Amino acid sequence: MRLEIERGELLKALSHVTSVVERRTTIPILSNVMLKATGDVLMFKATDLEREVSESVSAKVATPGTLTVPAHVLHDIVRKLPDGAEIEMKRDGDKERLTITSGHSRFSLQMLSADDFPDLAVGEIGHEFTIEAGDLKRLIDKTRFAISTEETRYYLNGIYLHPAETNGTKTLRAVATDGHRLAQVELPLPKGAEGMPGVIVPRKTVHELARLLEDTSAKVKVGVSQTKVRFEIGPVVLTSKLIDGTFPDYGRVIPHNNDKEMKVPNASFKSAVDRVSTIASERGRAVKLNVGKDKLILTVNNPEGGSATEEIAVGYSSGPLEIGFNARYLLDIADQLESEDARFLLADPGSPTMVRDGGDGSALYVLMPMRV
Amino acid sequence: MAIRQLSPETVNRIAAGEVVERPASVVKELVENAIDAGATQIEIVISGGGLSLIRVTDDGSGMTPDDLVLAVERHATSKLDEEDLFDIRCLGFRGEALPSIGSIARLEIRSRPADANQGAAVTVTRGSKAPVGPAAVNRGTVVEVRDLFSATPARLKFLKSERAEAMAVTDVVRRLAMAHPDIGFTLQTGEKKPAVFARGDRSSAAWLERIGAIMGREFMDDALEVSGAGSGASAPMRVFGFAGLPTLHRQDSTQQFLFVNGRPVKDKLLIGAVRAAYGDLIPRGRSPLLALFLDVAPSDVDVNVHPAKAEVRFRDAGRVRALMVRALSDALATAGHRASAQGGVLTVESFAAGILPSAAMSPPPSSDAAYQWAPPRPAPALSGTGFAEGAQTPFAVFDAPSADARTFAEPAAGETVDKPLGAVRAQVHENYIVAQTRDGLVIVDQHAAHERLVYEKLKAALADGGVARQGLLIPAIVELDDDDAVTLVARSDELTELGLVIESFGEGAVAVREVPALLGETDVEGLVKDLAAELRSDGTARALKDRLDSVASRMACHGSVRSGRRLTVEEMNALLRQMEATPYSGQCNHGRPTYVALKLTDIERLFGRR
Repeated sequence: MRLEIERGELLKALSHVTSVVERRTTIPILSNVMLKATGDVLMFKATDLEREVSESVSAKVATPGTLTVPAHVLHDIVRKLPDGAEIEMKRDGDKERLTITSGHSRFSLQMLSADDFPDLAVGEIGHEFTIEAGDLKRLIDKTRFAISTEETRYYLNGIYLHPAETNGTKTLRAVATDGHRLAQVELPLPKGAEGMPGVIVPRKTVHELARLLEDTSAKVKVGVSQTKVRFEIGPVVLTSKLIDGTFPDYGRVIPHNNDKEMKVPNASFKSAVDRVSTIASERGRAVKLNVGKDKLILTVNNPEGGSATEEIAVGYSSGPLEIGFNARYLLDIADQLESEDARFLLADPGSPTMVRDGGDGSALYVLMPMRV
Repeated sequence: MAIRQLSPETVNRIAAGEVVERPASVVKELVENAIDAGATQIEIVISGGGLSLIRVTDDGSGMTPDDLVLAVERHATSKLDEEDLFDIRCLGFRGEALPSIGSIARLEIRSRPADANQGAAVTVTRGSKAPVGPAAVNRGTVVEVRDLFSATPARLKFLKSERAEAMAVTDVVRRLAMAHPDIGFTLQTGEKKPAVFARGDRSSAAWLERIGAIMGREFMDDALEVSGAGSGASAPMRVFGFAGLPTLHRQDSTQQFLFVNGRPVKDKLLIGAVRAAYGDLIPRGRSPLLALFLDVAPSDVDVNVHPAKAEVRFRDAGRVRALMVRALSDALATAGHRASAQGGVLTVESFAAGILPSAAMSPPPSSDAAYQWAPPRPAPALSGTGFAEGAQTPFAVFDAPSADARTFAEPAAGETVDKPLGAVRAQVHENYIVAQTRDGLVIVDQHAAHERLVYEKLKAALADGGVARQGLLIPAIVELDDDDAVTLVARSDELTELGLVIESFGEGAVAVREVPALLGETDVEGLVKDLAAELRSDGTARALKDRLDSVASRMACHGSVRSGRRLTVEEMNALLRQMEATPYSGQCNHGRPTYVALKLTDIERLFGRR
């Protein structure tokens, strides 16, 4: 294998693929990135056996070939080369080494045969649809904070993506919950997604996807099979196994009869929660919400650390109510809110509270209260 | 095969299989008989691990010839009032031991009551009784068992070595001796010099003396007196004894001696109570040393559940447990900052081993991981041969250990030397506080000590403020055994206090509605199953508290003064004063001591002044 490539191209592709590579692994080849040179294209592929990312960039290929080299090392080398540098990659004859030359720098990397590189065969793609990158980003960005990290409930360790129906409109819906709070965001069902099975996209894949979506405005092609999901974002393809489990019937926990509505100005609420929770330095501290006529008092009481109180004007006309929430959970939800006002739908201090983003009907959050 | 009535001999041999498992069981039965006979001196002689000879001589009430005839009959006893099988005040009562032993060995009993002029003897050889005849014997009873198990060769095959059997006998005698400081014991196993436990009285000093003789000096020095009383199911009960400081612990529980009404037991409930009381004071997997005596009304305890009576059953197990835990915790809490003196002893030993602290001095061999002496830092290598070392020499001065840490000016008058942990004199190696007390010096590990203080404060705050509970959107359903589910739900009030709200969910399942907020997102199912398993095994629900404490402990570790930080005198003195005021500050969260005390006498000994 022998080729020449521009540093910028190489760096971009490498930073896309290497982030799935685990830094420590028991199978040596998993620390490597696969390079495959054909025609005038250099393809990169990296995997952690649960998901793989591949990307193709154009390169001047003199001799085609396939090999693998340590991903993070290669990435670091390329990162440290000067901007705009031309890089030559060459395998030394039959030796198990890849030589990288640029300007006066020369590196030689130990390689492993690409024959052993695992392939995440996607199988038959049953459903395929196209979605705006921004839309997909919104689906996962607004729900991923609620993904469970508790391994024993593996079926909650991801975002549940499935077709649904709201008020007669067919939607593509993303749901995540950790059993304490739940986030649900939806958008009109893209063509081709009808009849697709509900899939649970694992947390790490969600984070990879969010990263890949950061600097793109392209359309994303999504393919779903029984056990895998594939996202094609321009030249980057992310393929991931799905979580093999049944997502619980989350519909039951979304309250429908919470009749006490509180309209909260978003910005001041967010910063007020942030301020009072300074006192709640540790996990498991509650922010108490004291709701009265057009008035909300936030209180945090920490016997060792002191207390904090802040009052904000809200729209509320039902009976007074006192309810406590985990400070961090409340902040997490406040962070998702974008409209001017948020609507809190409350019932009683022991029942779930629903939070909606102003007029935006497509996102809802459910939060379970805390009791002392 | 037709059904037949078994012959009395066979019945006795079968019973012997239950009662007489090994020579130690024979010794136990015979010594208990002696105790029940009101003896003040008991002599035990065994040889061949108890197989060739066991002889127990007492100066108790003795038996008349008529008694002797009956004594070797099955189900004959003087110890049980048939009117009330539940009012058992003696150690034995079944009337099984002597005939059982007689059926599998050669048994000879010689006895003379105090008021008789002549003694009598009876022998039983593998079940066949010889008539009672006259015998010369002192007041009391001598029981001799020879050729044990000669009638049951199968049992013989399963015995351990003579040595192991002799050790088991020693163990049995020790346990009994421990419970009866008012009886003198002499135990001779084999050729060795006999072990003598001198007769004392039932005062606590004598008791501690007896226990110390058995468990060792070290335990005596570090023992706390435990005493508590409560009301049992029908009558008052009381617990008394000695518990080792938490810094004194062992790999296994062989140094835990528990007695119910003077009877040595290995009871799950009591062991569980001990474990609960010591809780986070000792490292996981280690056992404290203690000897506790529980006295309950005979009607409140059923000792008749185990042939060897190693287990008992209480009418109100909850109260017994509560009493044990309370009495132990009280004793441990009053000990406060006291740490085991063992550290000091080890320190002195390691000093003695070092003579001159050469750079090569290695830590003294210490099997006890509880205290490890860090070797002094080697002096910087000034005599290096390589270029690099040579070049480094000028810098070595920066590298010098900080052992010559700042010393402080003469302390102000009338200050804290009289306090238990004394007045701070210096901080060395940026981690150890050296303080002077009235009769010695104290070295404190600042990180370990402060960590414990923060931890105790966090725990107190937890206990005060109640545990905040996070509701679950979807109740977690945990499937369990029927019994486990019922037990768990029965304890739900207690669990709610700790932040776990559960309710019954049909047969063999519980629904968890709220969990302690402090645990964050946690493995609810694992937690509930652990709790169920613990409730089943020793009736405690520690798993939950353990988890909360471990979060507190982690927070404490982050929130405490690190090693390597310079502290001012005021800070250090404040730390010592807080340690004195905080319960359990004698050991860190991992069970290591937070300080060691070195007595002036020890220091003087180091310099040969004593």
